[in-house]
Amino acid sequence: MPRPASKEPESGSDRQGIGQGSDQGMLARATGARLWKDHGLLLWAHFLVPPVLAALVVAATFATPVLAGILAAIVLGIAAVSARALMIRLSQTEEARLALTNQLIQSQKLAAIGELSAGIAHEINNPIAIIAQEGEWATHLIGEAEKQCSADFAEVKDSLREVRAQVDRCKNITHKLLDFARKREPVIQDVDVSRIIEDMARLVDKEAAYKNVTLVRSLPQDLPKLRTDAPLLRQVVLNLMTNALHAVSEGGRIEASARADNGFLEISITDNGCGIAPENIDKIFNPFFTTKPPGQGTGLGLSMCHTLVTGMKGEICVDSKPGQGTTFIVRLPR
Amino acid sequence: MDINILLVDDENDFVETMVKRFGIRKMAIDSAKSGQEALAALATKDYDVIILDVRMPGMDGLETLKLIRERAPLTEVIMLTGHASLEAGMQGMNLGAYDYVLKPADFDDLLDKVRKAFERKELNAKARKQGA
Ligand SMILES: Nc1ncnc2c1ncn2[C@@H]1O[C@H](COP(=O)(O)OP(=O)(O)OP(=O)(O)O)[C@@H](O)[C@H]1O
Ligand SMILES: [Mg+2]
Repeated sequence: MPRPASKEPESGSDRQGIGQGSDQGMLARATGARLWKDHGLLLWAHFLVPPVLAALVVAATFATPVLAGILAAIVLGIAAVSARALMIRLSQTEEARLALTNQLIQSQKLAAIGELSAGIAHEINNPIAIIAQEGEWATHLIGEAEKQCSADFAEVKDSLREVRAQVDRCKNITHKLLDFARKREPVIQDVDVSRIIEDMARLVDKEAAYKNVTLVRSLPQDLPKLRTDAPLLRQVVLNLMTNALHAVSEGGRIEASARADNGFLEISITDNGCGIAPENIDKIFNPFFTTKPPGQGTGLGLSMCHTLVTGMKGEICVDSKPGQGTTFIVRLPR
Repeated sequence: MDINILLVDDENDFVETMVKRFGIRKMAIDSAKSGQEALAALATKDYDVIILDVRMPGMDGLETLKLIRERAPLTEVIMLTGHASLEAGMQGMNLGAYDYVLKPADFDDLLDKVRKAFERKELNAKARKQGA
């Protein structure tokens, strides 16, 4: 079974509002508050039958000791069974409550990180732009000075070039972050998922060929159209394919497939690459989590995929075996 | 139904062929030879769909895309590329491009994408109007 992404799938409307209405309902369900509604009669029996029988035993003691003995045994038996049932129920609800609390904490954490980083990106965007401008101006001045005093400022120019390169890198990250935080309302169209997968696969094909990697498509002919946001889905598919391409080694294999089942359409991207270490699997959807060397990955890809898929009211899951490969599954309602 | 289309590409032959082919279908399209020209055109007319080459001398396609998205957020952009560059593809999609077409573009394919992009633009415009 692929495990669901640790971020809680929430509907677009209560993106930040964690711990309100719907979650309370979930919590109630998990802690068994609903038990009363569903099994009220049974529970009354659980609680009332043993003492009633106990009373009968006491009454019976006055009649015959044998009858009292038999009744006492029955009472003990019933009490034991009901106690066991309650214990099981309790430990189950406790487990469910724990899982849910973890989910809530995780999604709250992600929302907070997202908000914070967008805030920072916004704040440092202007200073970065000014640094870029000043750098350009300095480069220009150095050029003029060089002409006038025919000196060689190669080293200064070199260092200015490096400043510029690093500023560009920062700009890239802040833009990605701001873009990421921008709330995009999905625009719903009829979407041919096979076509989207094929189109995005073609973008990946050439780079895959460099690495001698085959990108296999298994797309059924009769895949139904999906009502969803086309460019957002393209972004998700392209990100997953790119990650897969980075994960496989020379001669690797990636498979992109889609299938429809009751009310859902499932897209999976499977690779036979390095896989994800168990200690990382809970972190891969976090913004900025990356195992790539600095400058090569910002760690925003999967986090963005998660946000986009949730925005489309779908789910994204991962299943990975270190050393064997990884499958990402995107499940979208039809 | 008229779609206002702008084709941005520095390759003359390609632009001519496209203008002709759209013309056969009674669709008038404008063209621009550079990012700067495209932005100038955008300032004078409200385009529905812009077909934008990624690789152009001067302001490149991605830079142009960024500015188009800022200035005309409702206009949909289809990226056009001769060499399938994954990195440019990712950046283009992340910057809000609607779709991608690899050169040599199959015309029917491109037309189909233009129609879809236009449909999205209309839906988006309607949603905004209702929201406002
Ligand atoms: N198919 C995969 N196989 C193995 N590991 C993966 C796979 N997909 C993602 N990962 C792991 O998850 C991490 C986060 O992925 P994500 O796409 O969010 O960021 P990134 O690819 O590192 O950087 P970016 O996408 O911003 O360029 C990766 O660094 C990698 O460790
Ligand atoms: Mg990635």
